[in-house]
Amino acid sequence: MKVNLPRLKGGLTPLIAVAVLLALFPVIGVPNSWILYLFLFFIYLALANMWNLLAGYCGLISLCQPAFIGLGGYTMVILAWIGVPLYLGMIAGAVVAALFAVLISIPVFRLSGIYFAVGTLIVPEVLRIIFLIWRPVGGALYGKGAGYAVKGATLVSTMEIYWLALIVCISSVLIIRFILRSNLGLGLASIRDNASTAASSGINVFKSKFYSFIISAAITGLAGAAFYISQGFIEPTSAFSVKWTMILMLATVIGGIRIEAGPAVGAIIVVILHFLLARYGGVSLLIQGVILVSIMLLAPQGIVGSIRRTGTSRPYRALMRLTTRR
Amino acid sequence: MNLDVLTGLATPIAMGILLGGLYALIALGLSLVFGVMKLINIAHGDLVLLSSYLAFTIMTSLGIDPILSLVIGMPVLFVVGFAIQRYLLNRAFRISMEAPLIIAFGISIILQNLYQIVWTPLSRGLTTSYALESFGVGGIRIPLVYLLDFIVAIVVMIFLREFLRRTYLGKAISAASQDRGASQLMGINTNRVYAFAFAIAMVFAAIAGVFLGLTFPFTPQSGVSFLIIAFGVVVLGGLGSIVGTFIGGLVMGLAQTLGGYFLGAAAQMLVAYLIVLIVLGARPRGLLGR
Amino acid sequence: MGRRGHKMPQETLLKVSNIDVFYGGLQALRDISLTVELGEIVAIIGANGAGKSTLLNAISGMVHPVKGSIEYDGKNIATLEPFQIVALGICQVPEAGRVFPNMTVLDNLIIGSYNHNARPKREQNLKSVYQHFPILEERKKQLGKTLSGGERQMLAIGRGLMSDPKLMLFDEMSLGLSPIVINELYRVLRGIRARGITVILVEQNVRRSLKEADRAYILEAGQVALSGNVEELREEEKVKKAYFGA
Repeated sequence: MKVNLPRLKGGLTPLIAVAVLLALFPVIGVPNSWILYLFLFFIYLALANMWNLLAGYCGLISLCQPAFIGLGGYTMVILAWIGVPLYLGMIAGAVVAALFAVLISIPVFRLSGIYFAVGTLIVPEVLRIIFLIWRPVGGALYGKGAGYAVKGATLVSTMEIYWLALIVCISSVLIIRFILRSNLGLGLASIRDNASTAASSGINVFKSKFYSFIISAAITGLAGAAFYISQGFIEPTSAFSVKWTMILMLATVIGGIRIEAGPAVGAIIVVILHFLLARYGGVSLLIQGVILVSIMLLAPQGIVGSIRRTGTSRPYRALMRLTTRR
Repeated sequence: MNLDVLTGLATPIAMGILLGGLYALIALGLSLVFGVMKLINIAHGDLVLLSSYLAFTIMTSLGIDPILSLVIGMPVLFVVGFAIQRYLLNRAFRISMEAPLIIAFGISIILQNLYQIVWTPLSRGLTTSYALESFGVGGIRIPLVYLLDFIVAIVVMIFLREFLRRTYLGKAISAASQDRGASQLMGINTNRVYAFAFAIAMVFAAIAGVFLGLTFPFTPQSGVSFLIIAFGVVVLGGLGSIVGTFIGGLVMGLAQTLGGYFLGAAAQMLVAYLIVLIVLGARPRGLLGR
Repeated sequence: MGRRGHKMPQETLLKVSNIDVFYGGLQALRDISLTVELGEIVAIIGANGAGKSTLLNAISGMVHPVKGSIEYDGKNIATLEPFQIVALGICQVPEAGRVFPNMTVLDNLIIGSYNHNARPKREQNLKSVYQHFPILEERKKQLGKTLSGGERQMLAIGRGLMSDPKLMLFDEMSLGLSPIVINELYRVLRGIRARGITVILVEQNVRRSLKEADRAYILEAGQVALSGNVEELREEEKVKKAYFGA
């Protein structure tokens, strides 16, 4: 895989500066509530970046992400119960999620478009039911569901979990950058536009999509595990819930799908949104859904995309729409 | 041979077959829309659920039997479905490749949440007097409502088959789903045909919703399982084949009842879902379809 | 010398005037004009990509011209939808026939008479289609996808006839078919003309189409390069060189 080093390094300095600044926040006394929101932002950004990779660049509208999040979380929790340190549990979570992605890629990759979407919708549902029934460890159940407490989570300080999340987030940003600016990235863009021409120009369509799927699963699993460490407990209905899909879809779409900086902008907005909607628990998802639909209809390029677009007119495209039948 | 096991199995098998008819009915609507318009509305299951909730409200506030309430339910479902199709999804197609899916997903979430707000997360059911009756055949007892589901499904399927075969509009729907351009050249107004196919699909969805509500309790999230079941039936039986859809329905119905019999009620959907995934992996175009 | 049989009164059935058509982002037709008189067979010939199919699609309403007009029987049809144009009596037999693969031969023919003008005449049109193509009657219960290439083309033509057309457009009728079948199709074509149906014929097989046609237009890169009576065209240096290897 060829890598264009100058392209890779472009714009890296401001990113490093921001990352260092963010890392210092808990040390310099930024208020705890801010830290928590930033924590959420890191998690959401990691998730959105990975979904952008799949949906924006590979044309895979994956509804399967909750499966990786939940698996990452549960792996970490189960390992914690048998004494594995949480950090290792997180990594194990990423590995398990990636392996699972390999497994389900068999049925799911032969599908395209809608078949792929519904196929990926089924997977988290299956896992939710399995984890509702299955009691992998004899530990104490949390609450009245099939939840588990995360053993040792209370020993992790806010600062530590903040840094964990920051690392996960930075990894996701670097991975996206690396993929997009290397050979793999160019391949992905043309696959999304037209798989058959891409294939005929020598790009291995399957391999590109496959690797992206695995990578996305791993980082998503990692983020999920980090999240559940901070939560302190995990239970199936919320771990594999479609709410996750809404979060990462919304973040990507608001910011701008298929744009490298899109998920970052979107994740900030989603965190703010959650803050605002926190007291309207019942309607929160409803409003998020309305926003999602509205943005897709009115400003499908997202915020970043709209900013870039202003000033470019497309008379040719309008002409095309006039004269060609669907 | 342990006779007890056999008689034990007879009930879930019989119920699975009867249930299969209903599942085929849910899938028919999806199949029509997908075959003709080449799109699956991910919110289809939630639309079916709308019919269940509507019937519930009409039943509890007006005392009208759910099946009779279809007189109101069918047009409502058609209007809602049509509005979603025309004003949201159709525009989505011109925006980008991923737009229709994302928007349909958004609509699904909106509907689910709307149901939760209006009807609370409590599980509901269409409990009528006859829904609780059971009848005996060959030594086993089966809830009457299952038989009703099956009969309705068969009647609807026969009706659809004859309609597609014998009428001009029916043939036009078949033609438009096979080759859109050629059917336009034959003088078929494909927009009108699509609207009609869609209307039929919504009517089927309405009927399915009522009978599902009579058969099982439902929650705001039930739409997702309806969608997966319908999708599974379509994948199993193939698009465009009514007989195939029926067989697909039978498989899903049996998967659910036998799954519940062997693994317990919590796992009944699990077997069905796994079968869908396995079939998707093996033959995405369906076992029987084209 | 020229026209076979009785010469019809000169009456312009179709008049295409200066149309520009874009297809897939490129300009496919540039300032195209042509006329078709009642009862004629007009051939449109040219290399692949010259715009012949696009021209037929513009007449059928499948694409719309950005500029110019298409007049049929006095009406401007350039902005009409395909189903409206079929109802006016224009029917296109598309390239490769495009029969409906999962419908029977009979159903394919029946759907041909979908437009309201054709429905009352369905049975009589069906009979005459079976006369032209007895094999279709033989295979009437078979699915479209089980037919051979030649049979599919016959079915497509039969299906077109079921729409009770006044003007028929044939897109590459003889593509990929054996000479025997092609002869058969052209025999039917003559029969169609004898019934008073006007024909536009798009063909790559230049020699054969010029044999049957009264007039022809030669398209090159989306524009009319040459046009006129077939005899005149045959004498043209360009035509001789390009198509008859002078």
